[in-house]
Amino acid sequence: MNKIQTFLLSLFLLVMGASNSFAAEILNDNLVDTTLKDKNLQKPPVNKHYNYASTRRIPIRLAIIADIKSEKDITEGQTVVFRALNDIWHNRQPILKKDDLVQAKVETIIKSGMNGIPASIIFGDFKFDNIESSRVLDEYEKFGQDRSLWVYPMKWALTILPPSGSLTNFIKGGHAKLKTNEVIELYYYPDWN
Amino acid sequence: MHKLIISVVLLLLCQTCVFSADMTQIEKEQNIQQQISDIGTKLLNANKIDKRIVFAYDEAEKKALLKIDPAITSRQVILYDGDYKYIENEDELAAYLARKILIAFKSYDGIFNGYMGAFQLKAAPKKFELVADKRAVDFMVNAGYHPVGLITLIQKSCPQKRFDRFSSKNLTSKRLAHIYEYIYTKYPYYLANNPYFESEPYQNFLLTSIENRRMFEQKVKTGSKEEIEYE
Repeated sequence: MNKIQTFLLSLFLLVMGASNSFAAEILNDNLVDTTLKDKNLQKPPVNKHYNYASTRRIPIRLAIIADIKSEKDITEGQTVVFRALNDIWHNRQPILKKDDLVQAKVETIIKSGMNGIPASIIFGDFKFDNIESSRVLDEYEKFGQDRSLWVYPMKWALTILPPSGSLTNFIKGGHAKLKTNEVIELYYYPDWN
Repeated sequence: MHKLIISVVLLLLCQTCVFSADMTQIEKEQNIQQQISDIGTKLLNANKIDKRIVFAYDEAEKKALLKIDPAITSRQVILYDGDYKYIENEDELAAYLARKILIAFKSYDGIFNGYMGAFQLKAAPKKFELVADKRAVDFMVNAGYHPVGLITLIQKSCPQKRFDRFSSKNLTSKRLAHIYEYIYTKYPYYLANNPYFESEPYQNFLLTSIENRRMFEQKVKTGSKEEIEYE
């Protein structure tokens, strides 16, 4: 009987040891552990409730407060600041005044490509003091110069002289720039939920 | 006479079995289709995508190599059975659809009713592959899905090539590193609160991305803005 008990006990310990060694094999993510774990991080907002029935919209005109000379000057997730170019009224109440500052985020940067494909910058997450973001079509993409419109015809024209057509691969598209005098337009839908 | 009756009964039973098998297959496809349409349209609505994009399930194992992606030509996102078998949960399904939504959405850009945009998508697939990964993360977060689902899906389903210098696709390890960096930069909450952390695919991602993550760790520590050449 004792032998059976000893056997079962050793079997149990063996299994426990094996499971412990398995648990120890889980890899850690040092970067997350050291830089994110103790921070009070806010869960990003989720757009769960929407009602897109209304078609009534009010344009919001904005301009950036400092030039972006190229997509290389900014990073994804960076905050940029725009200023309002006109007053916005709703139900006889001012909800945005001229020269009010509006923060937005650089969502994604798309680099320029071969054959003249332009770079672009996607701006989003515009933060208005008195307007819920769920009521604004708040994404704006600024493209660089699209050279593919003349690069592709040139490439096809040069195919009769190989390999000169392939040289057009090295023509890159224009950088995405945004200047302070450029107006961007977003739409505010006051009746959306 | 008895033999005739038995034969007729057996024939009827056989037909019933075939019919019920067909019905089970149709019901299975309907369920998958409904799931895809629900999650797909939720992604569109939550991200305020004001362009028409539809979703379909196709039993084909994998799309034909030379066929142009219907997401570009007809703004139809197709989930093939060969891809569906890798999907284990809603986050991963949303990840698959969100990537394709970006391609379909981009094909509306440009002159000639989006022909130029579609042409650029076909001409620069490598560039837009990374863009689709990044925008998929945004779409998923806005719709309430966990973006790490994109990492686990790609880790399970995309093979690793030897080189990508002369290829139309990026190395999968490079894509995963860019996605990880993007989530870390824009949505760190989801890396700090990661239910996939102990899952086998995510642990395998951590194991196979040590060098790339080390480079990114260095970038974070030094505050550099240089783009990393991931491997």
